[in-house]
Amino acid sequence: MAAPVVAERTEAGVARGDASAPASRVMHGRATPYLFLLPYLAIFTVFGLLPVALGVWISLHQWDFQLPNTPFVGVDNYKELFSSDSLVFSDWWQSIRATAIFTVASVPLLVVLPLGIALMLHRRFPGRTFFRAVFFAPYVLGVAVIGLLWRFLLDANLGFVNFVLGAVGLPQHTAWVTSTPWAWVSLVGVTVWWTSGFNAVIYLAGLQDIPAELYEAATMDGATAWDKFRHVTLPGLRPVLLFVITTTILASANMFGQSYLITQGAPGTETRTVVAYIVALGIGQNDAGRAAAMSITLTIMLIIVSLANFRLFRYRED
Amino acid sequence: MRSTRRIPLYAGLIALTAVFVIPLVWMVLTSVKTYTVAQQSPPTWLPDPFSTYGYGRLVTAGSQNPVLRWFLNSMLAATFHAALVLVTASMAAYALARMRFRGRRLMFAVIVATLFVPPATLIIPNFLIVDKFGWLDTLAVVVVPGAASAFGVFFLRQFFLTLPRELEEAAVLDGANQWQIFLRVVLPLSRPALATLAVLTFLTNWNDFLWPIYTLFSGDRLTLPAGLGLLQGEYVTDYPVIMAGAVLASVPAIVLFVFAQRYIIEGVSRSGLKG
Amino acid sequence: MTSNHGDMSRRHLLGLGLGVGAAATLGLAGCGGGSDSKGSTASGNGGKDYTGPKVDLKLWNGFTGGDGDIFKKLVDQFNSEHNNIAVTVATYQWDDYYAKLPGAVSSGNGPDIAVMHMDMLATFAARKVIQPLDDVAGALGLTENDFAPTVWKGGIYQDKRYGIPLDMHPVGFYYNKTLMQKAGLDPSKPPQSRADLEAALAALKKAGIQGFWISPFQFTGGMTGYSLVYQFGGSLYNDDATKATFNEDPAVEAVSWLTKLVADGHSPKNVGQDADYLALKSGKNAFNVNGIWQINDLKKSAGLEWGVAPVPQIGQKKAVWANSHNFTIVQQRRADANKVGGSKVFINWLSQHSLDWAAGGQVPARKSVREDSKFAALTDVNTLAAELPDAAFPPALPGIGDVTTLFYTAFNEAVLGKKTPKQALDDGVAKANKLLEDNRKKYGS
Repeated sequence: MAAPVVAERTEAGVARGDASAPASRVMHGRATPYLFLLPYLAIFTVFGLLPVALGVWISLHQWDFQLPNTPFVGVDNYKELFSSDSLVFSDWWQSIRATAIFTVASVPLLVVLPLGIALMLHRRFPGRTFFRAVFFAPYVLGVAVIGLLWRFLLDANLGFVNFVLGAVGLPQHTAWVTSTPWAWVSLVGVTVWWTSGFNAVIYLAGLQDIPAELYEAATMDGATAWDKFRHVTLPGLRPVLLFVITTTILASANMFGQSYLITQGAPGTETRTVVAYIVALGIGQNDAGRAAAMSITLTIMLIIVSLANFRLFRYRED
Repeated sequence: MRSTRRIPLYAGLIALTAVFVIPLVWMVLTSVKTYTVAQQSPPTWLPDPFSTYGYGRLVTAGSQNPVLRWFLNSMLAATFHAALVLVTASMAAYALARMRFRGRRLMFAVIVATLFVPPATLIIPNFLIVDKFGWLDTLAVVVVPGAASAFGVFFLRQFFLTLPRELEEAAVLDGANQWQIFLRVVLPLSRPALATLAVLTFLTNWNDFLWPIYTLFSGDRLTLPAGLGLLQGEYVTDYPVIMAGAVLASVPAIVLFVFAQRYIIEGVSRSGLKG
Repeated sequence: MTSNHGDMSRRHLLGLGLGVGAAATLGLAGCGGGSDSKGSTASGNGGKDYTGPKVDLKLWNGFTGGDGDIFKKLVDQFNSEHNNIAVTVATYQWDDYYAKLPGAVSSGNGPDIAVMHMDMLATFAARKVIQPLDDVAGALGLTENDFAPTVWKGGIYQDKRYGIPLDMHPVGFYYNKTLMQKAGLDPSKPPQSRADLEAALAALKKAGIQGFWISPFQFTGGMTGYSLVYQFGGSLYNDDATKATFNEDPAVEAVSWLTKLVADGHSPKNVGQDADYLALKSGKNAFNVNGIWQINDLKKSAGLEWGVAPVPQIGQKKAVWANSHNFTIVQQRRADANKVGGSKVFINWLSQHSLDWAAGGQVPARKSVREDSKFAALTDVNTLAAELPDAAFPPALPGIGDVTTLFYTAFNEAVLGKKTPKQALDDGVAKANKLLEDNRKKYGS
């Protein structure tokens, strides 16, 4: 019957390291945690925290790398983002919209599809290593090559995709990279193709950590595959799932290379994402102050979104 | 149960494989096309004639374009970087997952918060910092700065949390201290996660292009992505050369991945609970 | 510049500047060779020769690929002829190059000589990345007469000269001879006027060919649009570049003429990046306005019957988009007069020997080189040299490139049919004016 199995599994879940379990019996010196953290924190402080602090500092100025004059402007750079007659207002919000569309369209696919792939590849069967390499292979390529490759393949008039579609009698003039909504389909499609392997590999590692005994116990209790998925796999993957969802949202919100190289922001600047805009402004136009203010604002927006995500998982700390 | 499952499994895998693989096959085939054929419309599938033009450009690039040197630079940078990440992130993640101390939650929150800052915008501040250290145009500049990987710490912490505590508690009863538990119990159990992180970190560094543009100057210090761009004409897209370069750049990563697979396949069931 | 008023005032000031500069350096040179005047920037007498201790110079350029090889050969030749100056070349892709240069210079990793595009001179001059070289031009006796007026004037920012032009690279009109014959047109007579072009397109359409693919992207549809705006008597900016003017009637007319080609079926919709050029090579597109740099690329296409001519005059005057590579001397944290002296010798030498550079598909800026009979032998490049007086360079203003990008974005929206030309250009100008004002505040001009 299902009931005793469920109880057992829940208990197993608790014992498995949910930090709300009864106090660990492992003793350690008071200094030990800090010693463990020291190497990481040394690098982190210099190359993680300090640049962020510098970035905030820069965002309060009109800051051009090379110009001698970097006047302090307080929160003007931030105010500009919300005042409709400023130089950057419409471009900024257009890029937020582009990013939001892409993120909402891509994250579900990027979370679910790789999980399916990982589940398929988790079992033992001949050729497993080959298939794993196949799904991971696109990620081995850098964004520059991906951008060029797909821009060529997706060309409306000369590209392979439309050529094949035409050969099988489907419409063959779709403007995959120069018109919306097709540009969105292309960007999401290419990203899913490119990075599914990344998430799949993470899921695979997570699946390895679920003891086979739990599945065997479930089978003995007559659980179906769906039951096993819901009651063994998902709980076992929970921390990993939270991780994948968070990092995927972040990765999608930070999408830059595909927009920059495949659609080049077209039509106009409609598919230009936030990071593409920030890079164009901060590095292309050397307007580091405004770019920094946008980055900080984006960071805050993403933190809010992710806090909601954490809540959704009701992830319990001690 | 398994044999009846296999047919839909293989069917699904093959269908997905086709979608995933076709662009890659096209890429490899293009790397052996001639310059003209590669640009043809309608696009061709097979290289006709077969040409070593693309790879030839890589090999005969000459002393001004030391492709082998760039390849080596990328290898060194990515390997050292991945090693540094694994060491620092695993220790930090273990402390955050298993030890109790003041400020634990805050520290984890701060580390994860930095994940939310767009990396591209940290380029200029980091540039100023590495300049002060005198690291510009050296190997250190492409190894160290990104090594405080919030991604790595977050990732490993989540993994450590999924490990059953019984094993660690058993080790305590055997008289092990924290460091020994970490080295002898936790790390071996975490091989899948460590191998995964190693591959992903290696790849991120290997394919990084923005940061090396800013920080590497000498022709023989460049990494592969930056260097390969120099083989292109100024305004021309040379597909065979680009694809040949991409194939060359893929080899180490695929080799690494296949090698790491053996560690990812092992699981808790093999080494753990039986003890 | 495009208006006479601007030309006159610039020429006047230029004459004054040269006079002063030349007198000063000639005076110094007369004082004895200049080999140990380490403290002064006017040492080395402006580039005639360098007699100081051996210097190693670093030069940066963006000449990747085949162009780079030609350039390096020239540098090697220079090095062999000068035993106290050794130049090493580092090459990066242009986008990376401009991104790296400021950081490299400020951290002391920069080059001594930087080759850059003319439209970037003002920005880097304002940033103090490069230094003025009026004395080079002055002492060498280089005047506008030694170059083409358009390229010569382009090197000035705030009345100081920052660049010595090496070449000019305009866009040209490429045509597929086979397709022309298919439509019954004479392949030796590419259309050069609006009437001829429109007639040719009609003939091509009858033969089922889309004769003039219009790309919405800067390379090269945007540049075509840019050229036409000036041809129709308009301009992107007003005289002192305080306002953007690319939504005025001539500009709207120009862009509309191009979008109409798409509407009338002479170009497919949604032409992708480079697709217009690739289609020319594949026999799908008959005409393409593209850079002079494609000449060498087309020569690699065996079996393709092609030709190049100056861009047809569609509007009431001739005008073409063009850019120019310039030599600049980089500002160093610590000035080394010997290195600066050596750099000047190099620049002068290379400018005089730029015939070989022309083989790379560039029009030499130096008049004497263009008048060399060997240059005439390079027929294709020589054909486009005729466009030199018609080059429409952007104004020398820091950050102007970013504003021109807004024009290209508007062009993109118009060609893709997202907005009407008038609407797209109006929106673009509104943004451009804001950016111009912002730039003024930032650079303090």
